[in-house]
Amino acid sequence: MLSVFCSGEVVCEPPNNKLDRFSGTLYWKESKFPLSNQNMLLRGCVLRNTEWCFGLVVFAGPDTKLMQNSGRTKFKRTSIDRLMNTLVLWIFGFLVCMGVILAIGNAIWEHEVGMRFQAYLPWDEAVDSAFFSGFLSFWSYIIILNTVVPISLYVSVEVIRLGHSYFINWDKKMFCMKKRTPAEARTTTLNEELGQVEYVFSDKTGTLTQNIMVFNKCSISGRSYGDVLDVLGHKAELGQKPEPVDFSFNPLADNKFLFWDPTLLEAVKMGDPHTHEFFRLLSLCHTVMSEEKNEGELYYKAQSPDEGALVTAARNFGFVFRSRTPKTITVHEMGTAVTYQLLAILDFNNIRKRMSVIVRNPEGRIRLYCKGADTILLDRLHPCTQELLSTTTDHLNEYAGEGLRTLVLAYKDLDEEYYGEWAQRRLRASLARDSREDRLASVYEEVESNMVLLGATAIEDKLQQGVPETIALLTLANIKIWVLTGDKQETAVNIGYSCKMLTDDMTEVFVVTGHTVLEVREELRKAREKMLDSPHAVGNGFTCSEKRSAKLTSVLEAVAGEYALVINGHSLAHALEADMELEFLETACACKAVICCRVTPLQKAQVVELVKKHKKAVTLAIGDGANDVSMIKTAHIGVGISGQEGIQAVLASDYSFSQFKFLQRLLLVHGRWSYLRMCKFLCYFFYKNFAFTMVHFWFGFFCGFSAQTVYDQYFITLYNIVYTSLPVLAMGVFDQDVPEQRSMEYPKLYEPGQLNLLFNKREFFICIAQGIYTSVLMFFIPYGVFAEATRDDGTQLADYQSFAVTVATSLVIVVSVQIGLDTGYWTAINHFFIWGSLAIYFAILFAMHSNGLFDMFPNQFRFVGNAQNTLAQPTVWLTITLTTVVCIMPVVAFRFLKLSLKPDLSDTVRYTQLVRKKQKAQHRCLRRVGRTSSRRSGYAFSHQEGFGELIMSGKNMRLSSLALASFTTRSSSSWIESLRRKKSDSAGSPSGGADKPLKG
Amino acid sequence: MKRTSKDSRCKLPDNTALKQQQLPAYQLQLSATGVLSGFFATGVFCLGVGIILILSAKSIKEIEIKYTEICGNCAKLREDATNFDKECTCSIPFYLSETMQGNVYMYYKLYGFYQNLYHYILSRSNSQLVGTDLKDVGNCAPFSKSHDGTPIAPCGAIANSIFNDTIILSYNLNSSIPIKVPMLRSGITWWTDKYVKFQNPSSINLSSAFAGTTKPPSWAKPVYELDEEDPGNNGFLNDDFIVWMRTAAFPTFKKLYRRLNRIQYFTEGLPAGNYSFNITYNFPVTRFRGEKSVVLSTLTWSGGSSLFLGLAYTVTGAVTWLASFSMMAVHLLLKDRKMLFIQQ
Repeated sequence: MLSVFCSGEVVCEPPNNKLDRFSGTLYWKESKFPLSNQNMLLRGCVLRNTEWCFGLVVFAGPDTKLMQNSGRTKFKRTSIDRLMNTLVLWIFGFLVCMGVILAIGNAIWEHEVGMRFQAYLPWDEAVDSAFFSGFLSFWSYIIILNTVVPISLYVSVEVIRLGHSYFINWDKKMFCMKKRTPAEARTTTLNEELGQVEYVFSDKTGTLTQNIMVFNKCSISGRSYGDVLDVLGHKAELGQKPEPVDFSFNPLADNKFLFWDPTLLEAVKMGDPHTHEFFRLLSLCHTVMSEEKNEGELYYKAQSPDEGALVTAARNFGFVFRSRTPKTITVHEMGTAVTYQLLAILDFNNIRKRMSVIVRNPEGRIRLYCKGADTILLDRLHPCTQELLSTTTDHLNEYAGEGLRTLVLAYKDLDEEYYGEWAQRRLRASLARDSREDRLASVYEEVESNMVLLGATAIEDKLQQGVPETIALLTLANIKIWVLTGDKQETAVNIGYSCKMLTDDMTEVFVVTGHTVLEVREELRKAREKMLDSPHAVGNGFTCSEKRSAKLTSVLEAVAGEYALVINGHSLAHALEADMELEFLETACACKAVICCRVTPLQKAQVVELVKKHKKAVTLAIGDGANDVSMIKTAHIGVGISGQEGIQAVLASDYSFSQFKFLQRLLLVHGRWSYLRMCKFLCYFFYKNFAFTMVHFWFGFFCGFSAQTVYDQYFITLYNIVYTSLPVLAMGVFDQDVPEQRSMEYPKLYEPGQLNLLFNKREFFICIAQGIYTSVLMFFIPYGVFAEATRDDGTQLADYQSFAVTVATSLVIVVSVQIGLDTGYWTAINHFFIWGSLAIYFAILFAMHSNGLFDMFPNQFRFVGNAQNTLAQPTVWLTITLTTVVCIMPVVAFRFLKLSLKPDLSDTVRYTQLVRKKQKAQHRCLRRVGRTSSRRSGYAFSHQEGFGELIMSGKNMRLSSLALASFTTRSSSSWIESLRRKKSDSAGSPSGGADKPLKG
Repeated sequence: MKRTSKDSRCKLPDNTALKQQQLPAYQLQLSATGVLSGFFATGVFCLGVGIILILSAKSIKEIEIKYTEICGNCAKLREDATNFDKECTCSIPFYLSETMQGNVYMYYKLYGFYQNLYHYILSRSNSQLVGTDLKDVGNCAPFSKSHDGTPIAPCGAIANSIFNDTIILSYNLNSSIPIKVPMLRSGITWWTDKYVKFQNPSSINLSSAFAGTTKPPSWAKPVYELDEEDPGNNGFLNDDFIVWMRTAAFPTFKKLYRRLNRIQYFTEGLPAGNYSFNITYNFPVTRFRGEKSVVLSTLTWSGGSSLFLGLAYTVTGAVTWLASFSMMAVHLLLKDRKMLFIQQ
């Protein structure tokens, strides 16, 4: 068969990223077949109900549409990295300046003094003029002073980052027990940027939600079921759940289904007709396919997880959907099999927001069962049920307030005559050539009226553990969270509410759904106007007048009311165009929460790119699937949720863990610490190198600018490698300003990172200034002392070698004391390194100046006997002490005053009480569940059109299943699960991927 | 099954303090009491040390006589290098109004002489000076070999430029015949220099040991004739030579020349009276616009120190006290305000 195919040829378009289009031609045996998107299967598709098929791979690997959507991999660097590079360049410039100054000094000196000094020290033969000598001295000084350009800085930074990455890998609190996956830092270059994140872009399915739908509550003829009740009948608090309802009476029940309210089962068992009708509807009105591997082992293959949940609920309450054929549905109602004749499926679509089935029961009665959005369905009810309607509406509001997805159920009896006539009309409409859809819709509309309300269902889209808490905490940390999802608007909004991104306290939620550029622009403009006009807009006089002077963006950011923006994929496409992107960004950034729904993978990346480009803020993208890869790659930091579906997201990510809630720990604990440590490290590193090197500069003025170093060359070599490297590394790896619990308790502690306060150009100059100040004292105090003094035996004190040892010793002591001050968290390791460094310094000093080494290499170890002779002098120690005191005291005083006058949140101890009070208020806000008003529908249904038709045609049913005979055991439920997930995440055109589900 | 559970347990991070960043640690806290008491203590310490240092520096008796201009004719003579063989002496009388108690040290002091130039400091050969390899003149450029290629001993710019004035202090008791003040030329170097860093080549006769080498160009006599009376002070072991070879850190420096031998009239130190320096002027300084002087000084426990250290300590102490008082004021003021703030 394949060999026959080999003679064929496919001519098609080049690889592109358009998921909904394909054009090509197949040439085979002199005939041409057009190939369209209908003939394509995209990468990641799963074939359903098909034993085998022949196919031809058109695009493979990176050419596939999915991979074309994933964007380019960019090299990621942190902002501190970039700043560091700039600073190193500046330092290099500074080095050249110093070199020039000293070279000029040398030329002048040689001209004025050196020339006369030639009897004692003639110029080198090559040097014929003072100018040339200055030129040579320039290069000598570049070499001597090059220690200001810290080469070891880069190595140390990498070591510290590696350490931080290991801490992330080792963190037990980011280890998922259920999936047994630890958090993983897949890159070691971005750690400190985790402490500066301002925008988090999150995928929804699999990241915020588990993609598990649970039948949570229902309202049947005015009575609400599903509240978790304790023994006394009060609403139980969380954590004291009673036993779940026992479904053992029903042999076909699904063990995994849990329900907590026994009254519902009682109602079913009592034979309450409404309840029975309610579950009958659920077991009939759907497009689920069933599969029975063995007798009694039912598996449902649902096109959307919502439906699966509803049908499973009905199954457990004794209305077991057993099997279907194109024309019948068999249901086990309380143990007895009933076969309904399926007359019509009025399929679901996004405009209708409802679906109905018309069935004839064994008694011959025809009934229409309908489920759909409350907004739609409540208008189509029979007017006689007013009272029931109002109670049900109350229940619906309650459910919506809890973030549950609601559907309203209703039925209508049809008489035979009417149905016959209606069926005729429907047939006509379906055969119509033009505007078939519209005609069908109006025919459906007609029959779905005057229905009788049965009740409502509330399905919980199970969030991942701890999602609302995490989002609340991150919001408090001033991190803005945008949800970018391929899901439908209702679903996304619903999740927005259930994870507390959207609340009913919000002043307004703007929904942008325009299809044209103009519409979108108008909607965005209106949103902005509303934000500016609202009475909340004026925060307080001070901020307002301050911000007014700035441009519009900041005016919008000063908006006081809480707003949210929901934007659809097709509107987003316009909003992301070059002329509108700024408007969009302005509007979106003024909102507390932004939800983009039905977006393609590429759009996700574009949104991230937009924020990255214009906001100069650090962005983080978090997602779990292949559709998030492009966004993960684009954002400054990409986080992959591991252990879900596939590993593409994890492979493209920089960090991965298995629960969204770990994000708070990654950012607020690891990120914050990383940033803090890195900043402290950098400040100290620049400081110590400047303090070390600038001494040469001052000495230049006293040694005829002859490029004589102050220190012994061994000291120069070892200073950065041995004497001062480990303490600062230990600080960079282990330092903590507040314990981890505090940084979760006070999310505001995260702000300095976002504002880039701890290490910026200003801080850099302060460090440099401190380094230079230290170097001045380090040189001039010993100079002042040595110039006149003598040793206690009368001999000269001010010999070069003693001076070198004194300056070096006081330098090592001063920088060690300084690192001691900088180290906020003295672990045993810090102690070991700091004291060890000092000990090593003296050990090496004495070893280098020992007689033994001199005897072996008299020309290499010229400082023989220096250490013991110099360091035995009280004057030397008094000098070292004075230098240390003068260098350190101002730092201590400055820090103390800053602590008293302008304390950081992190070093506030006496403010704790005050902050606690605030914190309590915030917690109260967090706990507030539910809502007071009823402005919102809880309807959300991740269903897609086209399945009804498919079922009625019987195309998707195997022969075996049609015959209701034996079921094959080959197919397992696992692929159904993965299909479900892909399905609900599908972002293609509303009807596009019905039979070709694709995670897009 | 067993294996998988073992594998997954491996994945579980160790619950150690290090890996969970829970190492027990001391948190450095700049508490008000700590900082303020630290500042007060430092202030007290600095003021105390400063006052002690100032007092001890005041107790030092020191007299310095610049003789470049006083011996102007000699200075002029030495400006021309061709006059090297002409001797020039110069006598400088002075009156010591107070007795210099205790040990008295005599220094020569040079102004504007750069012993700390890069090429100058390097220009020596330690392996030659330690006596192991007389011919090793590797670093000594431009004074490594004479014109005929003989290695110079001691080689290098430092050795070549040795201070070669002779200074003799005389005491005019009763304005009659001056008495030469007894001076010790030993004990003016570090022990390690004299016994480790500098060694004569081992030989019975010093002059034969130095055979095959030549004297530095500016020297009047070879190294083995520096002190022919005392073999322990001859050759590389000559104390004046060793003192010179320990290069100074700054262009102005004083080096120990002699110390008072406290015998006869001088057991208590130098009594007040008329003295004079008899200087054999050899070392030219006017060529590089330098100056030289001779210094007599006593010592205290910390050596002969200047006022600088004492003053610096006193100032630091005073500033620290001022700072601690103002910090305390700020602290107390803010404390009140903060209490108010919290109460609101």
